[in-house]
Amino acid sequence: MGVTAIPMLLSLWLSFTNYDILTPLSEVRWVGLANYERMFTADPSYWHAVRVTVTFALVAVPLKLAAALGVALLLNRAWRGVGLFRALFYLPSLLGGSVALAIVWVNMFNRDGAFNSFLALFGIEGLPWVSDPDWALQTLMVLAIWQFGAPMVIFLAGLKQVPTELYEAASVDGAGRFRQFWHVTLPMLSPVIFFNLVLETINGFQGFTAAFVLSNGTGGPVDSTLMYTLKLYISGFTDLEMGYASAMAWVFLLAIGLITVVFFSTGRFWVHYSDGEK
Amino acid sequence: MHPATSPTAGPPAEPHHRTPVPRRRFLRGVLATAVAVPLMFGAAACGDDSAGDDGQVKLSVFWWGGEARAKLTEDALALYTKKHPNVTFEKTWQANQGYFDKLATLTAGGNPPDLFQIDDNYLAEYAGRSTVLDLKSYQDSGKLDVSKFPKSLLEYGVVDGKLAGVASGENTQGLVYNKTLLSKNGLPEPTTGQSWEEHIAWAEQVAKKAKVPGTQDPSADYKAFWVWLRQQGKDLYAGKDLGFTAEDVTKWFTLWKGARDRGATPTPDVIHEGNASDVTKQLVVTGKAATSWVWVNQMPDLKKNTKDELGVVAYPGDPSAQWARASMYWSVFKGSKHRDTAVDVINFLANDPEAVALLGTDRGLPSNMDLRATVSQTVTDPAMKQSIQVETELAQKFGQSPQVPIKGHSKVKSELVKAAENVQYQRATPEQAAEQFLAACRSAIA
Repeated sequence: MGVTAIPMLLSLWLSFTNYDILTPLSEVRWVGLANYERMFTADPSYWHAVRVTVTFALVAVPLKLAAALGVALLLNRAWRGVGLFRALFYLPSLLGGSVALAIVWVNMFNRDGAFNSFLALFGIEGLPWVSDPDWALQTLMVLAIWQFGAPMVIFLAGLKQVPTELYEAASVDGAGRFRQFWHVTLPMLSPVIFFNLVLETINGFQGFTAAFVLSNGTGGPVDSTLMYTLKLYISGFTDLEMGYASAMAWVFLLAIGLITVVFFSTGRFWVHYSDGEK
Repeated sequence: MHPATSPTAGPPAEPHHRTPVPRRRFLRGVLATAVAVPLMFGAAACGDDSAGDDGQVKLSVFWWGGEARAKLTEDALALYTKKHPNVTFEKTWQANQGYFDKLATLTAGGNPPDLFQIDDNYLAEYAGRSTVLDLKSYQDSGKLDVSKFPKSLLEYGVVDGKLAGVASGENTQGLVYNKTLLSKNGLPEPTTGQSWEEHIAWAEQVAKKAKVPGTQDPSADYKAFWVWLRQQGKDLYAGKDLGFTAEDVTKWFTLWKGARDRGATPTPDVIHEGNASDVTKQLVVTGKAATSWVWVNQMPDLKKNTKDELGVVAYPGDPSAQWARASMYWSVFKGSKHRDTAVDVINFLANDPEAVALLGTDRGLPSNMDLRATVSQTVTDPAMKQSIQVETELAQKFGQSPQVPIKGHSKVKSELVKAAENVQYQRATPEQAAEQFLAACRSAIA
């Protein structure tokens, strides 16, 4: 515990200093709240990064969960070869935050990439997806959504836990497919949805690798992929403003903590635990 | 991170063990201590006893570059060891991307290399924080012989009166064009001394005839902006301040907006691709434009990426705005225990005929003028020959070197890219982008 706490506390202290990496720690100057002040009042690109990150999370996380749940429902049936499909859908997640994957992705969505060649088959002229500031972030979202395998596996496990009697009872009561889903599957699955939602949201906010690779570490084109973590990285390592970057990291930690608290406090209104406990 | 994926962070995956938790905690402890301790005692770890130079010396050397450079550098260092058997080297090299992150992290950890490669983007940052050794006293005592260096090249390593870096090679801005494409279409080649308007008109003509945009739009390129500024009697920096105004930037952006409107340049997304510093992405080798704005010594590297014949001239306008730029420097860490040896290695790499012959023009033209002449005569690679020839010609027209870019320069560079691309993608007018750029620059160099 202490070994995690010490570097963390050190970075908290650094966030109140002008630490620039190159100057020894013994010579850094205490600047009080100056870093925080600058972040909130004097750095437009900070707020831009916040906007990019929130947009990314708001779009990518729900769609990823929806895709995961949808595919999990399809793969929850017993049919030949279902195991193979489960493995195939899980595969992209195994590659996780890998750099290689991001490189392939960028090349696929270049102006002369595979995706546009595919569109050309239908006579559609594609866009330079990754180098167009209006589309670069969307490309990253699609990449994130595509990696829905991990929540899918958890959804599958959750679906297996739903007692079949409930479906039988519901169908005796005349409930159709959709009402069964709405009144049985979703409530029974809500703890798993909750779990996935919290984890994927945190993941979404922390997205870094793909944005870094796509933009060569700059957040470009025109800052369209300047995710919060990328901005933090650039401040710390390219601009050598590690004190400022530490301040950003702490605000980030608090923000994610706050979002998680909000999830947990609203969870009791919609998360249903079958053993009656809340 | 997700429990079901195999996260990249955290301790490495380990086989399931009967007592995995304590072990993992232990590993984490070791890892965290390893990170924290040098951070906390970073200052204390920087020894300063150069007297320990007796007996065996192991000097750490760090540079960026590709495999070819690594091979040449290792050969040259091996030659030093051969002549000084008590000195061995711990060599580390990597690609340019991420190099300065690593160097900064090593410095923060109190474990920077004794001898490292650096360029003008960061020299002032490092010199300003007194992480690099002032080599002036070695120059005065003759232990570091820079008498054969062109004066301007030597001065381009001086920051605040301190000799912070020794040029490991010289280069200058070069406009590289696709010769094959031009001759196939019966088009004239660009020439040194053409005006910017003439260059754009030429590029438009190329676009019309050859169906390839004539020139990459360099409005995001600080080195092109810099040359243009110097031709207007301005500069990138003046002392601790910017050497230009918002009006200058507006004029620069407007010049290229005009070029884009005339179809002389590629579309914004292609310009964006070409803005990457990677040699393999330069539009003149990917065939997406007839001209790229690079450094003269990149010619041989560019040539390796295309079958077409390439040519190189100075940037448009008066070539006296260009200068003998140190393509990169060797610098010594101030706290190194082996400073004297490190300086001697620099001296060797710059002035030993055999070492210089080994290194060739990989880091730019040799800084030692006598040896440069020898190397130029023995070079066989035609692209290299050509770049040497062009640079030697230009050297006669070179103007005074500007000051080394100041602290915050790397941010100024990236802000210029952002501002220029904002104009290219028509998200801002040249005036708006110029205002934003100026504001961002002021906060970067503050």
